[in-house]
Amino acid sequence: MAVTIWFCLVLVICLGMYVVLDGYDLGVGMLTLTERDVITRRQLIEVVATAWDGNETWLILFGVTLFGGLPIAYGAALPALYVPIVVMLLALVFRGAAIERVSSTVGVPRGWGLAFGVGSLIAAFAQGVTIGGALSGIAVTNGQFSGGAFDFITSYALLTGVTTVAMYGAAGAAYIHLKTTGALRARAASLGRLLTLATGVLTLACAALLVPLTPVRIGAAGRATTVLAVIAAIAALAVLAASLWAFGRRPDKRPMMAIVAAEAFGLVALALLYYPTVLPPSLTVDQAKAPAGTLNVLMIGLILSLPVLLFFSWYAHRVFRGKYREAPATAVPAGSGRVASTAAYSPSQPRRHRSQRPRTLRWAANLMWIVAGTLIAAVSVGVFAKTPTGEVITLVALVLIVIGGSAVWLRDELRHADAE
Amino acid sequence: MEMASPTLLDVSRWQFVITIVFHMTFPAITVGLSVFLTVVYGLHLRTGKAVYLQIFRFWKRIFAVGFGLGVVSGTVITFELGLNWGRFASATGPILGPIIGMEVVTAFFVEAAFIGVMLYGDGRVKPRTMLLSCGMVALGTVLSTLWILAANSWMQTPAGYRRDHGRFVPDNWWSIIFNPSFSLRFPHMLLAVIISAALFVGGIAAYYLVRRRHDQFARRTFSIALGVLALLIPVQFFYGDKVSFMDADYQLPKFAAFEGDWDSTNTGYNLVVIPDQPHQRNRLQISVPKMGSVISGDLSGHTPLPGQHQIPRDRQPNSWSVFWGFRVMFYAATVMLFAAVTSVVLRLRGRLFVARWFHRLMLWLTPLGVVAIIGGWVTAETGRQPYLVYGMLRTDQGVSLVASPTVLASFFSFLVLYLALFGTWIAYVVRTVRRGPDPRDLETGPPGSTSDADVVGAMEA
Repeated sequence: MAVTIWFCLVLVICLGMYVVLDGYDLGVGMLTLTERDVITRRQLIEVVATAWDGNETWLILFGVTLFGGLPIAYGAALPALYVPIVVMLLALVFRGAAIERVSSTVGVPRGWGLAFGVGSLIAAFAQGVTIGGALSGIAVTNGQFSGGAFDFITSYALLTGVTTVAMYGAAGAAYIHLKTTGALRARAASLGRLLTLATGVLTLACAALLVPLTPVRIGAAGRATTVLAVIAAIAALAVLAASLWAFGRRPDKRPMMAIVAAEAFGLVALALLYYPTVLPPSLTVDQAKAPAGTLNVLMIGLILSLPVLLFFSWYAHRVFRGKYREAPATAVPAGSGRVASTAAYSPSQPRRHRSQRPRTLRWAANLMWIVAGTLIAAVSVGVFAKTPTGEVITLVALVLIVIGGSAVWLRDELRHADAE
Repeated sequence: MEMASPTLLDVSRWQFVITIVFHMTFPAITVGLSVFLTVVYGLHLRTGKAVYLQIFRFWKRIFAVGFGLGVVSGTVITFELGLNWGRFASATGPILGPIIGMEVVTAFFVEAAFIGVMLYGDGRVKPRTMLLSCGMVALGTVLSTLWILAANSWMQTPAGYRRDHGRFVPDNWWSIIFNPSFSLRFPHMLLAVIISAALFVGGIAAYYLVRRRHDQFARRTFSIALGVLALLIPVQFFYGDKVSFMDADYQLPKFAAFEGDWDSTNTGYNLVVIPDQPHQRNRLQISVPKMGSVISGDLSGHTPLPGQHQIPRDRQPNSWSVFWGFRVMFYAATVMLFAAVTSVVLRLRGRLFVARWFHRLMLWLTPLGVVAIIGGWVTAETGRQPYLVYGMLRTDQGVSLVASPTVLASFFSFLVLYLALFGTWIAYVVRTVRRGPDPRDLETGPPGSTSDADVVGAMEA
């Protein structure tokens, strides 16, 4: 039992880290759609380019932890939410490709800039729909999904989709507020206030409609948990209100901190209300969990590595801390257009042969060596290794080939290093 | 257990095929490339030569996009295990979940933490931090290869588990991870990805040698790539041979299918076969006499190779894909071995950088490593059919019961998106190569000469 609770805690941490980190990441992506200026757009893409990979890895960790720890839930929930998850994945592929593609060239190729923005928006909406679809209930019989492909489309799922978009947008605005200066920061502040307000209103709507619209049973884990959940929810709304005030004021990191806190409190509230259900209406943690051998190993691995993972995420942001700056001129990828080589072509000095043999003979000799070498190498490593003695012969041959190969290579490498 | 309709099974399998093949083309290059980048950056720091920095910066541009595409397409695979193979996920989650979980925490996070510094830190952080980041990314990619091969090898040769109501329950983690095929398949795959990166890098260097552009850059790159190729391809032949004969012990249907015989009388080695599985025979068969016996260790030439008639029909894998997947890999490897030996001979003759026919050949061989890897995986995966977990869980028992039209729609979405992305990836590589390395990089001084402290200071401000 204790392991199960700890496991759920780890699962919530993974999801929370994902929402916090990729939330701002996707949010910045959507907000590029409001930018017309190419230079600003590029700046915004560069702002997330250094960390998006690490942020998205939390999603993979969440998925895999679910796969290992609650295999029944994983095997039933993913087919049930097939459509929104596939859409989310396609969008994530699209925008990830766009980030790397844009940051490896000069300027913003128009299609890729759009792909980044639209991909982020769709991914965020699909994530919200996935959560809402799960909350709306999944038909499970005998540990397998037994509903239809479009069961996930409920009014509640659409509401959570829109809420997620607003929340990620607010987080994105807070991040831009943190990382930029001047007009961009000011615009982020006003957009951020708007989006935060929208998030607050939509979240209240989600909370109010949770009981009438979904089969989630509130308070299944006891009165104390429910009280805690309500406190967490109030705290979430309070910090959200604080971020409304913090946008546009110094220090620049305050809106980001407030929104991160709001997301964390909100998730805690949701998790407390939810526990011990995994998939509403009826699948619980105890029914869905993996055998103890797996849970223990998974828990040991995760608890040992979580501090390191948190450190990594911190480090990836720490290296590029402070306001965004252009990289120094020397490190900018080569300018546009084709650049002619400066190094003039100079054939290397062919080694003089001891005797100036005719060309055909030299060719024949080379060919002989090549064919003989290929055959000897292929046969000596492949054929004999079926008996213990053969194995020894093969290994000796292999070592000789590798030593010979490295000797030839290194000698050549050194000779050319001296010549240059 | 409820049976899946044939269409659902086929579409789910085809979707997995396109998503995994698309994904594989990226790690096939980026694992080796990350090691290569670490080495050249280290060489730059040690020797202070600008050409190594130029090599680093050029390949970093191709690596960045390839790595990003590898990450996002890999995310798809993780979720596909639940999306399309939910019953498989429920049954094997207790075993494969922790293994892939270890991959995420020891590999993905390490890569993700340092990839930002590696790609965007040049000139912003200290050179030593750069080197550390490159090394960590390379370590991450190698660890990723290790864990994913542990997971796949367990599916090929399951060990260390017991069954409980159809689920696989772990008994002994040591034997799960070090299952019989892992110790051979992991080095086989690691060598394969490094070799395919060497061919990729060497092929593009050969392009500049052919075009007589960026001479210094091309020579250094070409030399390193062919040095690595010449060292590793003989070792790869050794491991490849080991892996294929391991199948004779553990997965006879696969072994019989990739040797391409039906009755167990052929002592020759089949070069070309057109199998006719419905009639359980070959329509065309060209073989080298006695060679089949020789490769299986009987030099007298009297031992026949096992044929597919020994296997009941419903347990035979598709003989087409298994045979030709294997042959594509094997023939590609033979060409690579030829190229490697040629490079040694040319090096000894001092003609490595002037033999233009060889540069043209290497240019053509640029994608060969990736082709060989895909061939090998087609053999490994289709040869395991009709099972997901060999001998234990059939593929039709693992598929999610999602409505076929939904899967068909997602299949076409992935197909279209991936074809488009693959096209732009190729176009990007071609354009980057045409543009070439930045000659201005050659003018930069030795590392540390520009005041890095100022740059770091400026970042902190």
